[in-house]
Amino acid sequence: MKELNCYQNNYGAYPLFVSGVCGALGFIASTGFNVSGFILAACFVVLTIGLHFWSQNDYRMLLQTVEQSCADHFQQDYEQKIETLQQTQSEALVSFCANQVETERHHIETLLIDVLQRFDKLSNHFGEPNKSLATLKKTSPAKPTSVETHIADLAQLVDAFVGYVDAQEAISHESQSSGIVGLDLLCQQVLPIWSNQIEMAKEHTEESVANLAQRFDALSQRLDAAVIASQNTMGSHDSHSGIVELLENSQMELSSITKALSASLAEKGKMLHAIEALSAFTEQLSKMAAEVSNIANQTNLLALNAAIQSARAGDAGHGFSVVADEVRKLAYLSGDIGKKMTETVNSVNVAIDDTLTISHKFALQDKKTLDNAEHIIATVLMHFTHAAAGLTDSAEQLRNENNAINNEIADVFVNLQFQDRVSQILTLVCADLNKLEQHLNDFNNEENSSESPHSMNVEQWLDELTNTYTMKEQLSAHKNSNTSIDTNATTITFF
Amino acid sequence: MAKTILFVDDSASVRQVMKTALAREGYEVILAEDGKDALSKLNGTKIHLIISDVNMPNMDGITFVKEAKKLSAYKFTPIVMLTTESNASKMAEGKAAGVKAWIVKPFQPPQLMAAVAQLVMA
Repeated sequence: MKELNCYQNNYGAYPLFVSGVCGALGFIASTGFNVSGFILAACFVVLTIGLHFWSQNDYRMLLQTVEQSCADHFQQDYEQKIETLQQTQSEALVSFCANQVETERHHIETLLIDVLQRFDKLSNHFGEPNKSLATLKKTSPAKPTSVETHIADLAQLVDAFVGYVDAQEAISHESQSSGIVGLDLLCQQVLPIWSNQIEMAKEHTEESVANLAQRFDALSQRLDAAVIASQNTMGSHDSHSGIVELLENSQMELSSITKALSASLAEKGKMLHAIEALSAFTEQLSKMAAEVSNIANQTNLLALNAAIQSARAGDAGHGFSVVADEVRKLAYLSGDIGKKMTETVNSVNVAIDDTLTISHKFALQDKKTLDNAEHIIATVLMHFTHAAAGLTDSAEQLRNENNAINNEIADVFVNLQFQDRVSQILTLVCADLNKLEQHLNDFNNEENSSESPHSMNVEQWLDELTNTYTMKEQLSAHKNSNTSIDTNATTITFF
Repeated sequence: MAKTILFVDDSASVRQVMKTALAREGYEVILAEDGKDALSKLNGTKIHLIISDVNMPNMDGITFVKEAKKLSAYKFTPIVMLTTESNASKMAEGKAAGVKAWIVKPFQPPQLMAAVAQLVMA
């Protein structure tokens, strides 16, 4: 009856009415507005209106009657056919289902046997940890192979296995839980220790490196002082107090001394020549003394003749004999003086000869001494010159070594700066360790107040750690990649 | 007359190295351990150049530069940052604060001294 309700709708004839009007209009349009067309259109409109009212009142009832009769007829017919078909189909279906059940039963039995075998393997794999599993494994293959038996065995096996797995999970969870708790406690205890150890190592390294830098600086300064002292000792182009200058001055002074000695020796030679010239005068003096003696002898003879002649003259010659006598005395004195003069000149000659001999001997000795002194002075000066040259070379080598050592110390200073980088890295590691310790403490405090499970955002932690890095090498180490540090060039950016 | 340089670094070893390197070039060196210590050294002494680290305890280098620039006596004193920090944003921050140059550790003393001489004479 529900289907018939649609016919009670008053709007059901509207499409028919509209189609009639449209058909009439179309007809009018197609016939060029003829009068006969209008009449026909009017007939269609009237027919449409009539059909509308008929459908409103009678058509619905007619359709209901027809539908009811048809439904009754078809229902009886269908019921008979369905009964027949049901009988036929039930017989076929029972037969088919019996076959299918038998087939499925065999299949299920096969599957169950296979599952039991797999359980046996599983039991062997776990090393027979469960008694029920072991028992079933031993007894199940010998039982009759009905499906119910297999299913019952399988159910027992599954229960036993579930119990075993639960027990294993409980054991695993317990052990895991206790392990995490232990790790937390260990971390809480050990992290501050690690942090303190790193801090201590950092401070010691800092102190040692600073001390090292100071010592290198002192070393460099002492080397510089040694080089300056060496330069002052050896003398330089703008210095007049060096050993070279001293050697040159010594050589000049020693040369002046040897020249003075040579001059003295020459003067001594002149003096010897003068003395030799004196010996010539002494010969003349000897001759003169001999002549004086000769004159005295002749005067004595003359005085003797005068005395003889005065004696012949008698008293008149008495005065003359006195004069002659005095003359004879004077001649005697003159002869004596001449004799003494000769003796004296001879003594002087001997003394001069002795003096000349000694002076020649001393002159030769002096000349030899002077030659020897010049030779020794030249040798000593040569040794000093060689020593000075060696010292100059040593000073030059010392200066070069000092420059090389200063360069090495500069490199050492560059390397010492790495302590600062290491210190910063260790500071960040310490800060992260402290952060982890604080995190664990917070976890424990929360754990005491609530039983909700805790979790850590590892990625966020690592991102925060990355943001604390100041050097590219830290980021490279974080990414487990190697980055070399260029120490030869200083990165300077001017703004 | 020797030029005076204020060097600020929390690392004792770097302070010693810089003191040695600058003293060898004939500069007079004043050392400070951090920004706060360095500010206390800015007491009217004529300083021709300030060299400072960035990451330091108590007061970091950038804050120190900002504070130093507020002092009229040191407003035009050139400041150089000597640090392991090579982050571009940090360098931009330093530039905005009035830093003249940014030197990344480790440094070669001769190259650093050349830059220092250039800045001191400027």
